[in-house]
Amino acid sequence: MSDSTVLDTVLTNPAVGSSPTGLVQSRSDEMIVNLGPQHPATHGVLQIVLGIDGERVTSATPHIGFLHRNHEKIEEARTYEQVIPYLDRMDYVSGLQNELPYILAIEELSGIEVPERAKYIRTALFELNRVISHLVWLGTYLLDLGAITPFLYAFRDRELALDIIEKTAGARLLPNYYTFGGVRRDIHPLFWQNLGEFCDYFETVIPEYAALTIDAPIFQARTIDVGFLNAATAINHGITGPNLRAAGVAHDLRKDQPYDAYPELDFDVITLERGDAYARSKVRFEEFYQSLSLIRQCIEKAPRSGAFKGKGRVKIEEYQQRYKAVEASRGQLGVFVASDGGTGPYRSKHRSPSFTNLQVIPDLFIGQKFADVIAILGSIDIVLGEVDR
Amino acid sequence: MSNISSKNSIKAPSDRPFLNRALPKDRHFRPKLGGYNPNKPNLLAKILSYGALFLLMFSMIAAMFSTVPWLFRMEGSPLAVHGQFTVAGSIIYAITASVFAFLAVAVAALILILLLRKYLAVVQNRYGPVHNGPGGAFQTIADAFKLVSKEDFMPGDADPWVFTLAPVMVFVSAFLLMAVIPFGPDWVLADINVGLLFIIAAGTLGAYGVLVAGWSVNNKFSLLGGLRATAQLVSYEIPLAISLLSVGIWVGSLNLADIVEAQRNWWCFIPLFISAVVYLIASLAEIKMTPFDLPEAESELIAGFHTEYSGMRFGFFFVAEFAELFLLPAIAVVLFFGGYQQPLAFLVDFGAIIGSIGAEGSVLHQFSRLLANSYGLFWFLAKTAIVSWLIMWIRATLPRFRDDQLMELCWKVLIPLSIFGLFIAIILRLVFK
Repeated sequence: MSDSTVLDTVLTNPAVGSSPTGLVQSRSDEMIVNLGPQHPATHGVLQIVLGIDGERVTSATPHIGFLHRNHEKIEEARTYEQVIPYLDRMDYVSGLQNELPYILAIEELSGIEVPERAKYIRTALFELNRVISHLVWLGTYLLDLGAITPFLYAFRDRELALDIIEKTAGARLLPNYYTFGGVRRDIHPLFWQNLGEFCDYFETVIPEYAALTIDAPIFQARTIDVGFLNAATAINHGITGPNLRAAGVAHDLRKDQPYDAYPELDFDVITLERGDAYARSKVRFEEFYQSLSLIRQCIEKAPRSGAFKGKGRVKIEEYQQRYKAVEASRGQLGVFVASDGGTGPYRSKHRSPSFTNLQVIPDLFIGQKFADVIAILGSIDIVLGEVDR
Repeated sequence: MSNISSKNSIKAPSDRPFLNRALPKDRHFRPKLGGYNPNKPNLLAKILSYGALFLLMFSMIAAMFSTVPWLFRMEGSPLAVHGQFTVAGSIIYAITASVFAFLAVAVAALILILLLRKYLAVVQNRYGPVHNGPGGAFQTIADAFKLVSKEDFMPGDADPWVFTLAPVMVFVSAFLLMAVIPFGPDWVLADINVGLLFIIAAGTLGAYGVLVAGWSVNNKFSLLGGLRATAQLVSYEIPLAISLLSVGIWVGSLNLADIVEAQRNWWCFIPLFISAVVYLIASLAEIKMTPFDLPEAESELIAGFHTEYSGMRFGFFFVAEFAELFLLPAIAVVLFFGGYQQPLAFLVDFGAIIGSIGAEGSVLHQFSRLLANSYGLFWFLAKTAIVSWLIMWIRATLPRFRDDQLMELCWKVLIPLSIFGLFIAIILRLVFK
């Protein structure tokens, strides 16, 4: 137990009047600080009402809803096909991933078969989106910690990945590319080659990022032993994704409930035991390598010819419902779709990982330093578009 | 696939050819920016406009030390008798010199802001400023005009006197350092025997300004920033002062001109290497640059102690920060890197050779002294630029510390190190002098 942890226990426990070292607990006036909604480090319009005593946080209340765009209600008034572009706009950092759970659910409800080739295309782009999303996390997190340069590097390489998506889907951030039974249009002839080139290039720059971040002493000083999230707390709060895996729980829907081409791919679930901000960063770094490996396996195993879209159209006769979830870059991204036999969803409910992961921050913040609040919030990696929907 | 490397695009580094062929050719359209195409810089115009900025600063310093006194001492001038200033002459010279010193610091800050932005752009694969002037050379001048023309706004809850005084105090504390820095063999405004103590005293004033800036505006982020800044600046004054004093002990004088003259053979950083390193780190904290930019930590405290400042009031903080980015490296150069001394001055000192031309008092001698001092000023500014660049490099690379780590670094590492450096200075002094 480090010194700061001892002090935390003392300061947050009202029953303890003095610390084990004999220091008398001292308190100044509590100050309420509104962190956000217009704050550079809340990654959007999140408001956290912090009570701080000097530099130490005594209470934290997140307020969300500033970016609420009524996604679920809008989807009720759209046809199944028209819903897909809205999904991109939830987690705009990894737009393509949002489409998949909904599409999987509808495919299952209406019994549309997906051709093998389309599955591999989907999976490769899904993993490419994970790289894009983690790059944005990397850049913004380092920005939160005060280093500006890695942000620009991350966005430089993110551009290359976005270019591949643009060449394939026609759009960069919000591609609207997946569709029922496969993908919307066929890939271009150099798709697999470009992906391979990107993997070769990106593998060479990950060590550079590591040198600026997880291997750098100041980064380690800022993240190690900061924001402990143990497995029990994580599971109780429904935390998923890298945050859960960093707490030592081997939960990964790509393994547990495989979809698309994942059953054919070979990979291990990355877990670390510590559960602090550093472990969460490290897991994401490992996932860079993992995603590249998965993309390479897709390149290797994908059929070079065949249909890009399965036959069949969406037809859901009577009342049916389905919940499907995928392992998006931030965790379990699920959608519950209910149909009453009409042309569009009767009700859809999105289970967004950022929203669930955000719940734990009061637990993580209390007793920490004000600067750590930013470090923890960044390491949880939330996207407000997905939290508020 | 190598269809990008047209003459209109940036070449990727040779070890990453993938960058070159990421995009199809038509996607690589880059618009002309304000009539100036950053892909085709007019090199001559760039050199001329950047050179003009440096020349401006150079001439400010030269005017302050050479032209103005020369004018005052001209035949028939009421301000000087037999080459010595009268009382009125001294007062008028002090005022005039301060104006030129202010201009010199302001121009130095403008140049450094521009260079920092350009350097960060180089590090981060960007262009940096390109719109105003060739290669963006006049960007900071345009920014200065923008700041001056903004509304002079004060929050309703602010204490008007303190709010107004704080940026002035911060700027003055940086600007005061100009008084004792020797820019050339003859070029020092106040040749006082307690120059080192003056540096410590003037630097401390800045902490006061930052504290009241954070305190005066009734903003919680400002208050936190002000508190952090006070803790940081007061703590880092100590290793800074101790490493300064080790130079004083090694040289045996607190007069900066003497200290520079004593470094003719050996620059102080060779015997006092530890003190030099401690000074550089502590001066980073004094400038409030990354990794010590906690007082204005953007991602935590918006802008820290100057959150509520806008317009030229903010401009004063901004200029003060960059004036310190010039002046603290300048002090490092004076104390540790030989000041205006040319490197290897003990072999052949061109400054001394130039400066000894002509008989004492003749016009030729005056001119040769001007040349010798300009030669010293050139070396002084060149070394200062290198130390400033070092700070910019650190700023471009590192994230920032947390406040307790900052304090730990100061009290547990830097202060013991600086005391160790002080002992080394004492021992070396006893052994070699």
